[in-house]
Formats: sequence, C-alpha cells, structure tokens
Amino acid sequence: MLMVSGVSKSFGGVKALRDASFAARPGEIHALAGENGAGKSTLIKVLCGVLRPDSGTVQTTGELATAFQELSLAPDLTVAENLFLHDPPRGRLGLVRRSVLAPRADELLRRFGVDYVDSRAVTADLSVAHRQIVELVRALATEPEILVLDEPTAALQESQVAWLAGHMRRLREQGCCVVFTSHRWREIEDLADRVTVFRNGSHVTTREKLGEAEAVTLMSGRSIDRTYPRLPPVPAGADRTLTVSGLRAGALREVSFDLHRGEVLGVGGLAGQGQADLFLALFGARRAAGGTIQLAGRPLRVRRPRDAIRAGIGIAYVPEDRKSEGLLLPMSVRDNLALGILDRLSSAGLVRRSAERAAVRSMVTQLGIVASRPMTQPVGTLSGGNQQKVLMGRWLLTDAEVLLLYDVTRGVDAATKHDFYQLIAQLAERGKAILLYSSETEEIAHLCHRVLVLREGRIAAELAGPVGDAEQIVAASMRERR
Amino acid sequence: MSIDTQASTQAETGKRRLDSLTPNTKLILYAYAATAAVLLAGALLHPGFAGWASLRAMLIVASFIGFVAAGQMLVVLIGGIDLSIPWVLNSAAIVFTTAGLGQSGRLPYAIALALCVGAAVGLLNGLGVAWLGVPAVVMTLGLNGIMQGLSLGLSGGLTCSSCASYAPEPLRRLVQGDTQLLLWAAVAVFVTVLLSLTRFGRHVYAVGNSPRAAYLAGVPVRSVTVTLYTLSGVFAALAGITLVAYGGQASLGLGDPYLFESIAAVVVGGVSILGGRGHYIGVVAGSVTLVAIVTLLQAKQVPEYGRDIIYGLVILAILFTYGRDREHD
Amino acid sequence: MKQALLVLTGTYTTYLLVYTTSLGHLPTPFDYLSLLNTCLPLIFVAIGQSLVVLTGGIDLSVGGIMSLGIAIIAARGGTATAALTVLIICTACGVLNGLLVARGRIAPILTTLATLSIFSGLALRTLPVPGGSIDPGLRAVLTHPDVPTGLIWLGAAVGGWLVLRRTRFGMRIYAVGSDEAAARATGIPVVRVKVGVYGLCGLCCGIAAVLYVSATTSGDPNAGMPFILTSIAAVVVGGIAFTGGRGSALGAMAGAVALTLVTDVLFFAGIDPLYQSLFQGLFLVVAVLLGSGAVLAGNRRRAAA
Repeated sequence: MLMVSGVSKSFGGVKALRDASFAARPGEIHALAGENGAGKSTLIKVLCGVLRPDSGTVQTTGELATAFQELSLAPDLTVAENLFLHDPPRGRLGLVRRSVLAPRADELLRRFGVDYVDSRAVTADLSVAHRQIVELVRALATEPEILVLDEPTAALQESQVAWLAGHMRRLREQGCCVVFTSHRWREIEDLADRVTVFRNGSHVTTREKLGEAEAVTLMSGRSIDRTYPRLPPVPAGADRTLTVSGLRAGALREVSFDLHRGEVLGVGGLAGQGQADLFLALFGARRAAGGTIQLAGRPLRVRRPRDAIRAGIGIAYVPEDRKSEGLLLPMSVRDNLALGILDRLSSAGLVRRSAERAAVRSMVTQLGIVASRPMTQPVGTLSGGNQQKVLMGRWLLTDAEVLLLYDVTRGVDAATKHDFYQLIAQLAERGKAILLYSSETEEIAHLCHRVLVLREGRIAAELAGPVGDAEQIVAASMRERR
Repeated sequence: MSIDTQASTQAETGKRRLDSLTPNTKLILYAYAATAAVLLAGALLHPGFAGWASLRAMLIVASFIGFVAAGQMLVVLIGGIDLSIPWVLNSAAIVFTTAGLGQSGRLPYAIALALCVGAAVGLLNGLGVAWLGVPAVVMTLGLNGIMQGLSLGLSGGLTCSSCASYAPEPLRRLVQGDTQLLLWAAVAVFVTVLLSLTRFGRHVYAVGNSPRAAYLAGVPVRSVTVTLYTLSGVFAALAGITLVAYGGQASLGLGDPYLFESIAAVVVGGVSILGGRGHYIGVVAGSVTLVAIVTLLQAKQVPEYGRDIIYGLVILAILFTYGRDREHD
Repeated sequence: MKQALLVLTGTYTTYLLVYTTSLGHLPTPFDYLSLLNTCLPLIFVAIGQSLVVLTGGIDLSVGGIMSLGIAIIAARGGTATAALTVLIICTACGVLNGLLVARGRIAPILTTLATLSIFSGLALRTLPVPGGSIDPGLRAVLTHPDVPTGLIWLGAAVGGWLVLRRTRFGMRIYAVGSDEAAARATGIPVVRVKVGVYGLCGLCCGIAAVLYVSATTSGDPNAGMPFILTSIAAVVVGGIAFTGGRGSALGAMAGAVALTLVTDVLFFAGIDPLYQSLFQGLFLVVAVLLGSGAVLAGNRRRAAA
C-alpha cells in the first residue's frame, strides 16, 4: 500500500507540490497523469525518498523499487555491476564473484527477455533505450511490493513498451502495486486500472474510467473558472518583426514562421517536440544547425544571448522541474532586474545607484512584484509567481521588442496567473511581438492570435486563434501520422 | 528619537536586525568575530599582543596574504581556483629584483615588468579555463609548474649575477613603513568598489551564482572569467614585489606558503568555496585572523609543529562554525 | 582510461627515442626497475587520490599523511613493526578526513587543507629534522638484491585495485560519485562509502611512505608535500573526472608513470633539470587537452556510427 497525504514541496519559492495527496493499492496499475510541471516527477521523488517534503507524510508498506526518468545507473560500471549494485553475488572474503556476476546478469536479462543487452558492456556505451531497459530490469528484478516508474516509456520503441507492459501486468497479478507516469494517453488507457490526474502540484481526481477528452480537460484545468483578457487584434498590415525560416536546432527539425508586431504567437504540442530548442535557438543559447532568422527584415545572426539582447530580444525561460534558469536566486531583486540594463545604468563602469533604484522601483510597481526590500532581498525568498515576474521585468526594462516567454506561468498561483494574462495582452497592445509556450495548453488556446503545433520538431499544424478550446490543440498534436 | 529602555524590546529589535541582514553581511560579521576572538585570546594570554605595535606588525604580515587572497577570492567567486599563485608570486619577485638591480631609477620599470608577468600568466590561465575548457585545477597547476621551471631555469636556480640584487631602497622603506598598510587599504578599496559598485562586479556575482543564468542574461561569461584570472595573476605579482621589498632579496620557494594560506584566508573571510558569495572586507579579516593565530603561537613560543597543529584545528573550528555546505535539496 | 593509455604510450615512445639516441641501446631491465622504484610512492598516492576524486572529492592532506608516515618510520628506527604501525595510523588519518567530510559537511578541499596542517605538524613533532634511521630489513622492501620487489609492489597495486573494483564497496564508490542523490535514493550508505574511501586513501599514503623510506633510506618530515600536487596531476593525466564517478585508478597509475617518465626524458634529452617543472607543467596541460580532444573525437565517431 502506498499513501501520500498533504505533501508540499517548493524549490526556492516555486511550489512543485501543494498539499498533494495520492493513494494506490496492492494489485493495481495506477497511472499518474498531468501536464509538464504538474508535479508528477516531484511526487515520485518524494515517494521514494530522494526529496524530503516540506510538509505532509508518505506511508508505504513493503519493498519499494523505482526506475527514474533521469537514469540512476553509474555510467562507468558494467551493466552487470549496475544490476547487482545492491547485492552482488559474493564468494569468500566478500569479493564479488566476477565469474558469476556476468552469467547471473545474463540469466537475469534473459529471464526478462532482454538478451540483446550485453551484461559486460560499460553502461555509458549503451543507447538511451537500452539504459532505460537496464534501469527497468533492475527495478523489476527486486520483485517489489510497490513499483514506481517515472516516464518509463519515453525512450522506448513500440515493442519495448509492449515488453514493459507485460511485466507490469504480471506484477499486478502477483499483488504488486504499480505506479507509473506517461505522456502517451494510449498507454495509460491500455494499462491503468485507475488514473490520478495532477494539476499545478495538486491532486485533481482519481478515476477508474477516464476518457481522453475528459482527461485533457482535467489536466489542462478548464474546469477552473478562469477569465482570459480579450486580446487586442493585431493591426492590419502590422510589420513582420521576426521571420524564421528552416530553423534546425536540437530536436527542432525544420521550422519556419513569421511573427508580427502586436502579435502573440503560441507554440503548442506535446512535451519535448522541440519547443525548448526553438526558444533557446532564437535567443542564441542553443546552436542552430541551420536556417535563417530575420529581424525587422534584416538578417540576424545570434551566436550567443548577447547578440539577441542587442537586437532587442528578451527571454523568460522556466525549464521543467527546475528553478528558473534565468534568475540568480541568492542575488537581490535589484541585481536580477537590473542585470540586462547595466550598460545603460552605468557610467565609466560604475553603476549609477539612483538611476538603478528608480528603474527597479518602477518595474516593481508596474508588475506588482511583492518584495519587502527589493534592493537587498534575495530573489530566491520570493514566491514563484513573483520570481517569474522579476524575470519578465528584466526584459521589460531592456525594452525588448520581441519577447520569448517559455512557461512563465508554471507553478504560479491563480491570481498571479491572471496578472500574467493581463500583462501579455497589454504588451501585445503596446506592439511587442510575443512567442509564447506554456505547459498549460489552455493558456495557449486563449492567449494567442495564432498557434503553431509542433510535433517531432516540425510544425504539424497552424491554428488561428484565439483557439479557445485546448482540446483542439491537443488533438492536433496527438494526431498520429500513419 | 526616544530611547527605549525595555531590554527585551531592544533584544527583539536586535534579533530582527540580525535576521534582516543578508547572508553576505552575516558572514562578514562572523569573519570579524573570529578575528576579534583570536585577538582577544591573544590579549589575555600574552600581554601587549593587541597593542598597536604588535597589531601593526601583524597587519603588515597579513597584507601579503591579503594581496594573494584578493586574487584567489576573485576566481573563487566564480567557482574557480588559482593554484598558480606560488610561482607567479615567485617569478614576479625574481623578475622584479633582476630588472631593478637595486637601483632606484629602475624601480618603475621593474615594478611594471613584474606586474606584467603576473598579468600575462593570469591571462593564460583565464584563456585556458574560459576558451579551451581546461578545468581550473589543471590549467593553474600546469602554469604553476611552467612558471617554476622558467623561474629556475632562466635564473640558473637563482644563481644569476643580477639575482642577488636587493630591492631598490626607496621601495624597501615604503613597504616596511605604513605605506604598505595604505597600499593594502587601496587594494581593499579597489576590490570592494570593483565588486560592489561596478557593472563588472554584478557580472562576477552573476557568473558565480549560475554561469548558465548569467549567460542567458547576456553576461559575457568568458571575458569575466579571463579578467578575473588576470587580476589574480596581478595580485600574486604585487605580493611578490612587496615581499621582496620587505625581505630585501628574492628567494626560491618564496611563494610556497601562499597557496594554501590564500585559500584559507578566503574561506575564513566568509567567501563560499562554491562561488557567488563573499566580500573582500571579510577576506581582510580572514588574513588578519590567520596571521594573528601564528603570531600568538610564536609569541607563546609554541614550536613549529604545535603551530601547524593548532592552526589546522582553529581553521577546522572556523569551518564548522560558518564554512559548511548549505543543506542539500 | 583511454586518455591515460594514449598519454602513456606517447610518453613511453618519446622515452625510448630519447634514451636510444642518447645511449645507443634500448633501456635495460635494470633501467625499468629503477624507474619503477622511483615512481612507486607516487603510484600509491595517486591510487588513493583517485579513489577520493572518484567520489567527487579531493584530498590535499595526502602530503601530510605521507610525511607523518615517513617521520614515524624514521623516528622508530625503520623497523617492520614501525612500518606496520604507520599503515594503521595513516588509515586512521584518512578515516578522520572521511568523517569530517561526510558527517561534518565541509567541502573536501577545505577539510583536507586544515587536516594537512595538522598532519604535517604531527610529522614535524615526530621527526623535527631530516634524518632518522632505516633498518636494512626495511630497505629490502624495495631494493632486494635477488627479487624484483618493485614489480611485486606494482602487481600489488594493480591487483589491489582490480580486486577493490570487484567488491561491492568498489561498485558503490562509482555509484556515489556518479550521482550522490541517486545513490542515497537507491539505499547506498553514502557516509560509510566516503569514510571508507578516505580511509583507503590514507592507507595508500602509508604504503607510499614505507616505499619512500626504503628507497631513500632516510626520513624527512616534509617529504610528502610534493606529492599533493603530483598526485592530483597523475589523476588529471589519468583521465579521472573531477566531478566524480568516471575514470579508473589504473589511469592514475599510468599518469604517475607518465609523469615520472617525463623526468627521465628530460634527463636523457640533456635538458637542464632546472627546467623540469616547466616541461611537467606543459605536459599536464597538453595531456589533458589532447586527451579530452581524442576522447571527444572518439565519442563523435561512436555517435556517428
């Protein structure tokens, strides 16, 4: 049995779990569903004791085994050593019996039907899929009473997914409690006896039967009454600010689009389809493998963030499961806000304190940043919403014409989210060009003039906005290519 | 303003004030508390220890540590380390004496040349770390060896005819007098202004706290890194020049004690070894603390072995008080 | 490992070239043996250092522990009992380091900086001036007239590592160094592993001390100090990552041999010994640059395949 009650966990002000509860019973396969940043991974880390919760309790009965999404295998050890890290076969003198280790690992791998993995291979030399399989075998082999799998199928091919499903069902028949997360709804429908939906770090519902459409609604949170501001229309014949053609970077295969002044362009799609690469490449923080970028009709080369900043591009980037990558948490609100405009604020290299204070004060007031002592208070002590406002404020201070907003509302309470929506609409009205990604598809559906749906690094669909209905975007991103 | 006579209220206010201090300020206070504790212990154990004459002597000795620690602190602030300090210091000292030849007329030239040597080595360190991606430990350790070899080889093991030159007289007078303390004060002001009041200083702390976040905010991470290593080289050279002027002649192994002392002074001064946190004001206290401990032990005629042991124990105690890693997760 | 082998092969080839051009014949077995004897203390310190670095730490106190060991043996007349006592004391010194690092949560570089001072103080107390005496019996540890003891020691070093690598403890060292949080999550006793690793490092320094006195036949309370930076250099050349969890002590051994070979190359090339550290420093930087370049290229090839 597995029971989590009232667990909260924050990372430097960003609440990953708020008063979360969850229970799973023996002999069932229980799926944890939710959008990116809903708190699934954090919950799993709390479950197995990697993270200590700020409050709340975790109760488990019986042996627990976990397979992590970021692999916990030691790269320099062989597969066999990793498999038997806990209890290697030992002879006299307590020495690991090498002669037995590899054959026994082979036997284990064969028992689990993965004889294609060489137990003598050094783990670092394996493909990601094979490493994932070794990680899974290690967890399965302990014959645990509770098995927790975090995104076990993300790196696997179809046949390997079927293999895993077989083992999950077998363990269920033996009375084991299996908990897993997945981004693929089909797997959840196929495998799970019950589904628990998480949103924004909290438990939403636990059901035995849950249709995809309803699940999407629950995960994206439409049930919460949320009012979105009316977007000002993009002025007819507005200038194209940003023209991207054939951009390739990381998981991004080839992407072309225009962004106009006063327009909010949404980037939707399932997780990991190249959205992050798109944002980082436009900002020069990820090397582009090809393609061109034009700013106001002039070709622009961004080899590093400084080039982008000089050209008038700003980025607010909140990566998954982490504190914001843009903020310096131990440094003050002032330091963080002013970092982008230090050139303007200094003469002969010295920062003009009064000018700086004025700039910081104006931004704190404009965005309603709640900080008792903005000049000295470390940003890390602010709430998540206020931290993300500081990040936005930095780029507003630079007067950036193009704003790349990557998941700025993640982990933020409803009131602050509302502030962000208003702000985005205002910025569009002021003629800023905004590229918006959100792990909450609902926001993309309501806040954007147009939506690009990414799949496998390409634009799979372009929807005219405001779409208004998140399910349309989800449907467009899930539509399988046959 | 009326005087509040209620002791409890005062204590509360005091506590609130302490809470409202930034962690940085708190660490500086700790560093000075440690200095005060050592000086107090000295005054109690050895009459005259905290007198001006003795204090002044300690400050002069501490100033040499202060110089190298200034450089070490700058690179530690961005999570780096400079292991090339001993032989940068030593080679600058040798360059200074051989170029100065004991003549006052050649003094400016000799000083400039020695500082350039320091800057050049620091620049190489910085380029290797920032552009070639060589780990700081490897790059600075390698350059320490290179400078050692060059110093020994080119001076023929310090047997060259000009190697025996004394430091030019005017500088010797200055360094042995209050000017040395003024110089240290100037270094303290320079480093503090650089870190606290300039754009560059903001960049340094940004890189130290998170190179990635700093990069995304447009901070020129690489040039900041190169500048800091260069400054570290200059400060080591400055220590070399003043040490020669203080002692009269260059010697081999002159810089050896200063590697570990610079690291100790930085950490005792409240600078985080992980980077991003700390001020030179604290490092000044750290340098004085280290010298005060040694001076006190010498005054009590504790033999060398005892000095080493107690020195290590005191540093451990200080680390336990305020030098621990922040709690994980 | 790859990097270390590459560097060692390169250095050895240069050694052969320089040796033969200078002396007109290939190195004799005697040359190899004396070369081995010279680098054995460093090999052992490098093994200890690499264990610590594999867990993501660093040990600056190796110099102090080794000095203490040397001082004790020399002050006690260099008997076998003294040597055995030293092994125990040095291990205890390492365990102390481990406890301070793992329990006290002080950064390893700072902890060992402080204990370095303590251990060298103790060494100085044990043997105030260089000298002391070494029992001829102990000298045979390294220079036995009939037995190539150096080879035995090298065998012991390699064998010891291979055995350690095959214990559960050895596997756990890598797990802790790879990802301490993940290791803790999978139930590995991180504190015990770290204490064990620093303890073993102390033991290695003790062995190095015994080997050192048997080669030099006298004691010096500061003799261990040069080994701090050279052991780190050997680890670096050996391709062990300072972030932990990656590399092998065999690499560090190869690194130690390569560093010693460089000295010999310089000698036979007729380069003024005063320039020795210049070339060692260059060697260090170039080895790491070439090594990481070669490994990168290898990875790229593997990724492309």
